[in-house]
Amino acid sequence: MHIPSGLSLVREIEELSGQVVADCYQCGCCTSGCPVGEQMDPPPSKAIRLLQLNKAAELLASDGIWMCASCLVCGTRCPRAVDYARIAEACRALILRTRQSKVDPDTVTAPELEEIPQQAFIASFRKFSV
Amino acid sequence: MKYVYYPGCTLYTKARNLDACARKAAARVGFELTEMPSWNCCGAIYNTTTDDLAAQVGSVRNLAKASQLGEKLVTLCAACHNVLKRVDDRLHAQGNEVERDRLIAFVDEKFEHRVQVMHYLEVLKNDIGFDKVKEKVTKPLAGLKVASYYGCLMVRPREVLQFDDPENPQVMDDLMAALGAVPTPFDFKAECCGGYLVVNRRDVARTASKRILDNARARGAEAIVTTCPLCQYNVDKLRPGGDGAMPVFYFTQLLGLAVGLPVEELGFEYNAFDPKPFLAQKGLA
Amino acid sequence: MKQPEIADPKPPTYKNRPRVGVFVCHCGINIAGVVKIPELMERVTKWGDVAVVKDYKYTCSDPGQQMIRDAIKADRLDRIVVACCSPTLHETTFRNACAEAGLNPYLCEIANIREQCSWVTEDRDKATDKATEIVRTVLAKACADQPLESITVPINKRALVIGAGIAGIQSALDIANAGYEVVLVEKEPSIGGHMAQLSETFPTLDCSQCILTPRTVETGRHPKIKLLTYSEVESVSGYVGNFKVKIRQKARYVDFDACTGCGLCMEKCPGRAESSFERGMAKRKAIYRLLPQAVPNRPVIDAQSCMYLLKGKCGVCAKICPTQAIRYDDKDKFVEEEVGAIVMSTGYELFDAAGLGAYGVGTVPDVIDGLAFERLLSASGPTSGEVKRPSDGKTPKKVVFVQCAGSRDSTQGMPYCSKICCMYTAKQAILYRHRVHDGEATVCYIDVRTPGKGFEEFYRRATDDGIQYLRGKVSKIFRQGDKVVVWASDTLAGRKVELEADLVVLATAVVANPDGVALARKLKTQLDTHGFMTEAHPKLRPVETLTAGFFLAGCGQGPKDIPETVAQASAAAAKVLAMFGSTKLTHSPTVAVVDEDICVGCGNCERTCAYDAVKVDEQRGIAVVNAALCEGCGACAMSCPSGAMNHKNFTKKAIFDMADQF
Repeated sequence: MHIPSGLSLVREIEELSGQVVADCYQCGCCTSGCPVGEQMDPPPSKAIRLLQLNKAAELLASDGIWMCASCLVCGTRCPRAVDYARIAEACRALILRTRQSKVDPDTVTAPELEEIPQQAFIASFRKFSV
Repeated sequence: MKYVYYPGCTLYTKARNLDACARKAAARVGFELTEMPSWNCCGAIYNTTTDDLAAQVGSVRNLAKASQLGEKLVTLCAACHNVLKRVDDRLHAQGNEVERDRLIAFVDEKFEHRVQVMHYLEVLKNDIGFDKVKEKVTKPLAGLKVASYYGCLMVRPREVLQFDDPENPQVMDDLMAALGAVPTPFDFKAECCGGYLVVNRRDVARTASKRILDNARARGAEAIVTTCPLCQYNVDKLRPGGDGAMPVFYFTQLLGLAVGLPVEELGFEYNAFDPKPFLAQKGLA
Repeated sequence: MKQPEIADPKPPTYKNRPRVGVFVCHCGINIAGVVKIPELMERVTKWGDVAVVKDYKYTCSDPGQQMIRDAIKADRLDRIVVACCSPTLHETTFRNACAEAGLNPYLCEIANIREQCSWVTEDRDKATDKATEIVRTVLAKACADQPLESITVPINKRALVIGAGIAGIQSALDIANAGYEVVLVEKEPSIGGHMAQLSETFPTLDCSQCILTPRTVETGRHPKIKLLTYSEVESVSGYVGNFKVKIRQKARYVDFDACTGCGLCMEKCPGRAESSFERGMAKRKAIYRLLPQAVPNRPVIDAQSCMYLLKGKCGVCAKICPTQAIRYDDKDKFVEEEVGAIVMSTGYELFDAAGLGAYGVGTVPDVIDGLAFERLLSASGPTSGEVKRPSDGKTPKKVVFVQCAGSRDSTQGMPYCSKICCMYTAKQAILYRHRVHDGEATVCYIDVRTPGKGFEEFYRRATDDGIQYLRGKVSKIFRQGDKVVVWASDTLAGRKVELEADLVVLATAVVANPDGVALARKLKTQLDTHGFMTEAHPKLRPVETLTAGFFLAGCGQGPKDIPETVAQASAAAAKVLAMFGSTKLTHSPTVAVVDEDICVGCGNCERTCAYDAVKVDEQRGIAVVNAALCEGCGACAMSCPSGAMNHKNFTKKAIFDMADQF
């Protein structure tokens, strides 16, 4: 599957996510409230900024989009109702659909498999693997 | 009252003792959970991309199957509840008729009608009523200062889940009060524990979960109660608090305890922090 | 679609054939660039009743109007149709021109061939056909028109000002100083509004009380101002120039004239209640005044917290009052005032931040709003101007100011910007640093808006003082031990930030005073979707409403700071004085009229009328129109089942004649 480039990539992300990046006025509330905001690079508001500046390729190459836990606090508190979790998911989907995984199920150890609720595995692989 | 029951994979296997006490507690309180036959995985997490129909098929099949059996579909796992409810909402959203018809035609179970997707807590609150629950309490959890941790999947997205106020939910706190415990308010009721990030980024999940534990403790709680097996894992088994851990119960365990189920049937083997000594010390078991 | 028949229109049937002058305006190229004017004129000339057809490039200009005036005289015209722009722009212009030429202005009609024709299509042929149809239709109306005389109403040159914050005070003083009587109604026991709660004002850092009290004292003493405090407007009837206002004077339980304002009663009163003036930072007594400099300086008893009024116990105030001014048997009184103009200055409130669940309001005691912090800063406040935090009374060493708490928020708050918060937050941060020299202040913002005179310099002063401005909207506020944790971000550096504070001040959104909203609904004046009073035109008529005789001033119309409030208040007063400056008011005569022979008094019209302008006279059994109140909307004529109700110059016959032209 081919990932588009330039502005059409931003539009593709908007279409997949159902979000309009122009709606964001860069207040930073999403970054402020993200539970993993300190570790996410770029954090949500900066990620959206990259899309606004037509730098989608940079966002797709980042680690931050693979850090999202889909907790939806960003979208819930956004004053413009922009849902970053969906944008991150659209970005990940574009990469996953080129058959590139981020999490390799084979790296899960036997004790982890024994202990961690399977819901976590299925969810993780759904979001991060192909 | 009978409900079609969907346990989900985790509660069926690794957390089967939480499921078992849930069914028994339901019986005590006055409703029956009838497990639907040949259910399948709901998907474990909701897929938000606008074009992905395949990800919804599992849940659509469950909803179709459930519709053949009754009006209300009850779940115990916050994750399953979140997925099923959001798929159900999307299925019936205005403008999604083409998508809906394709999905319903695709699954091998006949879709009879739209079912109401409910969480076990909603059954207790809306159908049974907490005062009725209180009447069934034989061993009130007197003096138990418990912080109700809802996690993100129970309350967001607000418009779809319609469960409670996503910033300060009260439903489980009210249940705890009905069970005789002392619900302790705290500031991280619906903040994320890290969720599925525990699979490949344990440190991130640990940081997020530790925050929750620290805040609950700082606000005076001596125990935490959850409604999601993954939250339970992250806050309990993952040991984010190190030595400063505290018992993390699944809400059905406390419910079962309060309505008089024997301690052995409450699934405490599932808990990493063994709550039995703690409960004994509080005079509750 | 049926094509219009252009060659042979049906002539209207009138006994005396009118002589109509049709004037087609080019409006530069606005009309002429689309409508083919020569062709239009050629068609119009052929119609009966049309005595003369002329065109002009800009008919609204002086030469254009002169052309009309000359034609009326030269061609003995008795009707005018001007085919031009919308009547909202120049109907008055052309009607005045007619009047100057001796023709009744209500025999002049406007055919809108611009907004309704040349501005909505590029097709020249279609535009010309439509213009032809429009002109022919309006021609039919003009022929059906009767000459009308404007209705004149007397003016009662007394004004009512509702709300005595700085806006109401300014309006009242301006009108009173011009020599007219003003009734100034205020629902609180004393005047001054929110400005009385402020410590200092931006950007000068003037002490709020010091600049306010000269005005309040002057108001209290002014011979032309009748000050009714602790009072509310119950109802207003009548129409512009002739309003009857019923005002409820709430029971004070204190004899206004006997009381000297000595304050002994307040010292001894054991009753306690939450003080709304102190914004939850302190309690007050059951017998109280809002502030030491209260005008009028007379306390009131709050019946909800007075032990004597509730249970018959205590009575200390009555015992120690040196002039026996306590009146436990006091009751609400009603007064009626007659006025000609009303100024609504009901002010603002702050958004209830409990609605922002993630900010901890109500659960974290050290999270307060801007007005509450103002009380902590105020020298006459509950902490005598020392900044102490509510939970433990300690001096906060780290204060975080959170901007846009509920503003610019389409999901949980108000979508608009509240205008004053950037400035008052900078002020509060500066004042905090003045009081607590080793204190640290951080302002979490999205933008810093400094549009006024001296405002940008004032903001510079804040940053020069070391106040940290962090660009990022706060997501969550919660407590951790005895600290308050704020989850914010630094979007300029691109990262999340966690702040620890001793006190958090929220700059909450400015909303319309709910009492003002309720009053506007009662008086049927217009409100926007947020509850702010709507001005007649957002650019050009900012202090008038669409209800004649009602004017606006202050934050009740929208968030604004003190200089803008005072300017608007004086503007409203100027409008009132302009009205009072004439001997009589004229009202448009295109009003409803009842055919008394047909009317059976069914009352449909009375129920339909939005202006209370038509009532059924019970004795005569027919509807009577109050022409001064009637706004000529036509709703009653439509709702009349017998056809008795008609509309001057919009008669049913005229409308059918117009419809026949299609």
